[in-house]
Amino acid sequence: MLKIDHLTKRYGDTLAVNDLDFEVQPGVVTGFLGPNGSGKSTTMRIILGLDRPTSGRATINGRTYEQLKAPLREVGALLDAKSLDPKRSARNHLRALALANRIPQSRVNDVLEFVGIASVAHKKVGGFSLGMSQRLGIAGALLGDPQTLLFDEPVNGLDPEGIRWIRDFFRSLAKEGRTVFVSSHLMSEMAVSADQIIVIGRGKFIRSGTVDDLTADAKGTVFVRSADSARLAEVLRAARATIEPVNDSGLSVSGLSSEEVGDAAFAAGIALHELTPQRASLEDVFMDLTADSLEYGHHDVEAAP
Amino acid sequence: MSSSPTLVDTTRSEWLKFRTVRASLIGVLTFLVLTVGLAVLVSFIIKANWNHRDPARQLVFDPVATSLVGVFFGQFAAGVMGARVITSEYASGAIRTTLAAVPRRVHLALAKAIVLLVTFAVLGEVASFAAFEIGQLIYKSGHLPTGSLSNSTDLRAVVFAGVYLTLLTLVGYGLGLLLRTTATTISVFVSILFIVPIIVNFLPSNWQDHITKFLPSQLGTSMMSPDLTSQAFSWGVSALLLTLYTVVIVAAGTVMLVRRDA
Repeated sequence: MLKIDHLTKRYGDTLAVNDLDFEVQPGVVTGFLGPNGSGKSTTMRIILGLDRPTSGRATINGRTYEQLKAPLREVGALLDAKSLDPKRSARNHLRALALANRIPQSRVNDVLEFVGIASVAHKKVGGFSLGMSQRLGIAGALLGDPQTLLFDEPVNGLDPEGIRWIRDFFRSLAKEGRTVFVSSHLMSEMAVSADQIIVIGRGKFIRSGTVDDLTADAKGTVFVRSADSARLAEVLRAARATIEPVNDSGLSVSGLSSEEVGDAAFAAGIALHELTPQRASLEDVFMDLTADSLEYGHHDVEAAP
Repeated sequence: MSSSPTLVDTTRSEWLKFRTVRASLIGVLTFLVLTVGLAVLVSFIIKANWNHRDPARQLVFDPVATSLVGVFFGQFAAGVMGARVITSEYASGAIRTTLAAVPRRVHLALAKAIVLLVTFAVLGEVASFAAFEIGQLIYKSGHLPTGSLSNSTDLRAVVFAGVYLTLLTLVGYGLGLLLRTTATTISVFVSILFIVPIIVNFLPSNWQDHITKFLPSQLGTSMMSPDLTSQAFSWGVSALLLTLYTVVIVAAGTVMLVRRDA
């Protein structure tokens, strides 16, 4: 189990991680979601002992990373896939990692085969595409058959086939009872690949839960269509709904449930051609949750002055 | 798979990393060409011009020092090799992968130092002995005065030429740990060996006498010279002093490696 314990990291005046405190459980894929610059990578680096926290700590099964004697046998991590010496071959890169952690050299071929780059393992990694580097990074993470796995933005640079492969791979790792912690700034990706999601913004914890938990309490809208949309809009406004016209005859209604919208239309004698509750997407939820925490907030697109 | 890795495992891993990049091979070849090749070239030139030399200069000819002159060029290749063991990892970002595999940073710093120490002790001695022997063969063929390994002073000069090269490799490594980028490290390394002596040259001469003998390049010269001048330390003190510098620089670099975020 991975435990983040009141973790804070300050770089000069910038508070990159602000009192984060959560646990990542084994057996499920946990997504670590936040906009760019929200502190995900910093948190990952602290977990791996690369950066020192200003206060608090991160532990793996009760021990900090520095306390692990053979860390690759307990934690596998994929950080920046290009964090490799470009002049060394993929196989030699893995052989060096195996030696440093007393992992049998036979594992090198096993993981190369598994990620599907065995045929190019003798080539220098500098010539690898981002996707191939990602696969090599994953091979490195798996080398010591660790119980805990961390992946920082793993789908970056992968083609659709690779993305599907990696999703299935995360699931199978979790199914084997491992702790799988995956960061991403793409909510759509997390929606399909993570069981449990932790959302952060500006270094602070925002929310956690399953995808359903996160979308359930977000306010949805109701889409209605009617031949007399002008009058329907009046009626609904009178019922304190907020209306936005969609196309010619459609209205997007927020603040009322679909039942309330239907009842109000019936009471006013307006025939409805369509009445559809619209659930908030995880994307909307994410935007809502992190709206105040974007490091580089952008305003709505306006006409150039 | 059950037992914990030790410093031996970290060193084996670093040795594999050192020998599996072509830059190491090129660096070693450059080092040998500079240390041995230049000594050979200088020896040939001296031999060719011997008869035109003024007799006074023929008298002070030092067959040992001239055959080891390549050391003062080879030291730059050695220093760069020492530095690159760590600075290339910072340049590529590979340091993060390395530290994730070896979180005990003192182990990592030591393992890299051991690889460099052993490699350059061997290479440095091989190069020094080769330069000396080839140089003496050239002098002998021209009937010039020659040195001999059976002479303990000459033998010591050759052995300490290799020691000097080994220590400077580690100085380059220590500076690399401190400064992290290849360009800055090499600039500082070259400054210490080349530019500082020039600056000292402009100081009042009574200052010069006190400062010059502490400079690494002068310590190297003293380690390799049979003759003692009053301005320089003895070869033994010089070797100890340069070792002390090296240990301090590598230790300071290791402290910074441990303290700083990767």
